[in-house]
Amino acid sequence: MPKCIIDGKEVEFTPGQNLIEVARTAGVEIPYFCYHPGMSVVAQCRMCAVEVEKMPKLQTACSMAPTDGMVVKTKSEKTLKNQKAVMEFLLVNHPLDCPVCDQSGECDLQDHSFKHGDAYMRTTEDRRTYIDLDMGPVIQKNMNRCIHCTRCIRFGDEIAGIHEMVAVKRGNNTEITTIDGKQLQTQYAGNYADICPTGSLTIKDFRFKKRVWFLKKTPTVCEGCSRGCNIELHQDADVIYRTVPRTNMEVNKYWICDEGRFNYQYVHDADRVITPAVRTGGTLEMSIWKEAVTAARETLKGKKVAVLVGSDLTQEEGKLLLDFSSKQWAGSQAFHFGTPGITSAAQDTPEDKILRRTSKTSNLQGLEKLGYKGFTSLPHGVEAVVVFRGGRAVVPEVKGIPVVGVGVFNRKDTENYAAVLPGQSFAEKDGTVVNFEGREQKIKRAIRAPRECKGLSEVLMMWSNL
Amino acid sequence: MSETTLYIQHFNEESRPLDYYLSKMNGYVAAKKALSMQQDDIINEVKKSNLRGRGGAGFPTGMKWGFIPKQSTKPKYLVCNADESEPGTFKDRDIMRYTPHLLIEGMVIGGYAIGSSIGYIYIRGEYTREAKLLQAAIDEAYAKGYLGKNILGSGFNFDLTVHRGAGAYICGEETALLNSLEGKRGEPRVKPPFPAQSGAFAGPTIVNNVETLADVPFIINQGGEWFAKLGKLEKSGGTRLISISGHVKKPGVYELPAGGATIRQLIYDYCGGILNDRKLKAVIPGGSSAPVLTADEIDVIYDIEPLMKIGTMMGSAAIMVVSEDYCVVKLIKRITKFYAHESCGQCTPCREGCKWMEDILHRIEDGHGRDQDLTMLLDIADNINGKTLCALGDAAAGPVTSFVKKFRADFEAHIRGGKCPSA
Repeated sequence: MPKCIIDGKEVEFTPGQNLIEVARTAGVEIPYFCYHPGMSVVAQCRMCAVEVEKMPKLQTACSMAPTDGMVVKTKSEKTLKNQKAVMEFLLVNHPLDCPVCDQSGECDLQDHSFKHGDAYMRTTEDRRTYIDLDMGPVIQKNMNRCIHCTRCIRFGDEIAGIHEMVAVKRGNNTEITTIDGKQLQTQYAGNYADICPTGSLTIKDFRFKKRVWFLKKTPTVCEGCSRGCNIELHQDADVIYRTVPRTNMEVNKYWICDEGRFNYQYVHDADRVITPAVRTGGTLEMSIWKEAVTAARETLKGKKVAVLVGSDLTQEEGKLLLDFSSKQWAGSQAFHFGTPGITSAAQDTPEDKILRRTSKTSNLQGLEKLGYKGFTSLPHGVEAVVVFRGGRAVVPEVKGIPVVGVGVFNRKDTENYAAVLPGQSFAEKDGTVVNFEGREQKIKRAIRAPRECKGLSEVLMMWSNL
Repeated sequence: MSETTLYIQHFNEESRPLDYYLSKMNGYVAAKKALSMQQDDIINEVKKSNLRGRGGAGFPTGMKWGFIPKQSTKPKYLVCNADESEPGTFKDRDIMRYTPHLLIEGMVIGGYAIGSSIGYIYIRGEYTREAKLLQAAIDEAYAKGYLGKNILGSGFNFDLTVHRGAGAYICGEETALLNSLEGKRGEPRVKPPFPAQSGAFAGPTIVNNVETLADVPFIINQGGEWFAKLGKLEKSGGTRLISISGHVKKPGVYELPAGGATIRQLIYDYCGGILNDRKLKAVIPGGSSAPVLTADEIDVIYDIEPLMKIGTMMGSAAIMVVSEDYCVVKLIKRITKFYAHESCGQCTPCREGCKWMEDILHRIEDGHGRDQDLTMLLDIADNINGKTLCALGDAAAGPVTSFVKKFRADFEAHIRGGKCPSA
């Protein structure tokens, strides 16, 4: 393998890698703003310029492919002076409103400023200001903070496949905005905020809710569709504040869609059924576990039962239910459900050219592997239904016969239910899901479930033993 | 002043029609000759001629043509850079205005030499009249079979299109020009790849200045060696069209052999001296982006290498002369304002730095300068110079550095006295 020398260290590299990536393998960090490994290289921010022997000018590491024997100096006087200079230039017009900026704490500009910038500022000029337009429900824009890295423009053009972000005007007045000031159209808008190296584009949903340094991060998998994008859930005190993508080059690369990003919201929905509940008279009333389990059992007793299992449940839960239902309700049939119109993995197709799939649950493929059949209609003679649900699967309409729900439900889902035994959402349990390609991935517990919401195995234990 | 000149004798309204070009200027004889030659022989002839790009960088044209990959299956393009956006430059305008067929013939030959059948002339948006004249000449050439299919029975096809710019200085930079030509934002591209590998519409592309291409028919007609000998210095062949403006008695376009005179001769012999016989204060020798020269530095041969040796450049061969009653601080402020205005805004040092320098210079000129401003200006200019994606950063920083260093007293007078000493 060819080798180059970075800061005196000999580093092997694969031809085609750029200097930033090669240096990273050697543990040398070259700072940058505009570069992003998932998008084209524009060499605009000039922060990554380094000294290369035999070249008179500094070379941008993002656009430089090392050659065998190349000698690179990332800590030379010339390199460091340029880094200081770029930091100073970027801050000439930056508002420095870090105290009220959501990006603060995870801001490239802030971090690089701390590491490579100067505490002293020479500029006394008035700062450039812009008037911001509304960019739609996902993204909050603050152009004053923008450093013109154009990552957002490239994300739209190259990843989201929609040319909606553009640069208008010129030079010092350049403004990054949407075409004709329209709202963002893409279903991947949240990524604009993720890749923005400053607080210029932030997520409206997360705005002013939490300082990022208080967030605890759990690596897990999105349950929004059958792709299973890798994500991190960010929480503090058992409250999820946001979802961010986690890089997995084989599944979702660096991105997630907005549906997956905001899917977590149902976990904290005020209408989520978080205590055992029993229908008394016409309404679903709060109850205690012993009574609710008894009521649920009574509802199904001696009847021909259909078991509906949401394809938003994990493999572990699926297997458990398969065994449990055949013993508990002799002669019952178990079906999986999840997305209206999709009853088998063969019907699960790409929804766009990027990530989204038409099956809107995480474990369709897995439940099918366990032997579940897709639900189409209730078999003849079924007298009662028990529904197990993770929180996302769309429950088929059942009319005229009693229904018991186990898992995560919203109050409005349970209008005709005889009893509800509250369970845990994907953020509150561990488990395995199988994505559309058959890839097994782990979901991890990020927060503790509300006190009365119990894991499936515990619920089934009570069902058998109470 | 009796040297051979190629252009200047034809710079009048009568020489524009095709008839004049055919009868008085050996019109399209070179094209006929070239189309019967081997492509490599043409490139070799141009290499021998020591023709160097007339747009500013002075890169040897023959060598540039040689960079086109022969085996490429993509369409190749020949693009004429007629943006002529460097302040002080107006020589290409005269070529397009008076001898447009020279340019067309040069492009036919150049297109044939690099294997391109599509040519574009990217003309400065403000040159409305020239764009019309050029289009009329192209129509004439099409009508007579000098452009289009099977030119002069050779089997070679070449189509030529005039594309008007929209008024951006940066579109004179070749990759920004190509972006603009493709309908994108006029922003320079990251190099490499250079246009010869991947230029217009991702095909191999050569971008040449108007004068460079117009020189080509002379080279083919009379030979590369003859052309090389026109130049007085070793490395530069041919004649140079020089735009002289500012405080001289006879501003205008002059032609002289490359390296044929000093700046002093140009100002005092060719242009008749300084306006109102005042004293000379400064000379900007190569368009507004060239570092300035003082009155003591003008005994320098006006060509690429001698100017480079004294730390400035010939650029697009545009001399701007400044007399002693004009304020140099105001001048550099105006120049910097131009570059701040024309910065495309994509890379950091240029976008932020040019405007910052403008603000500081504005402050100094207004009499609100501070003692540390000059040191700061030099440092900001140094932080821009050589650190940007294209040469616009250098173009903005070089003049500021040279003005502050060479006319420091004038700046200090503004800062300390709070007003202009030359007013």
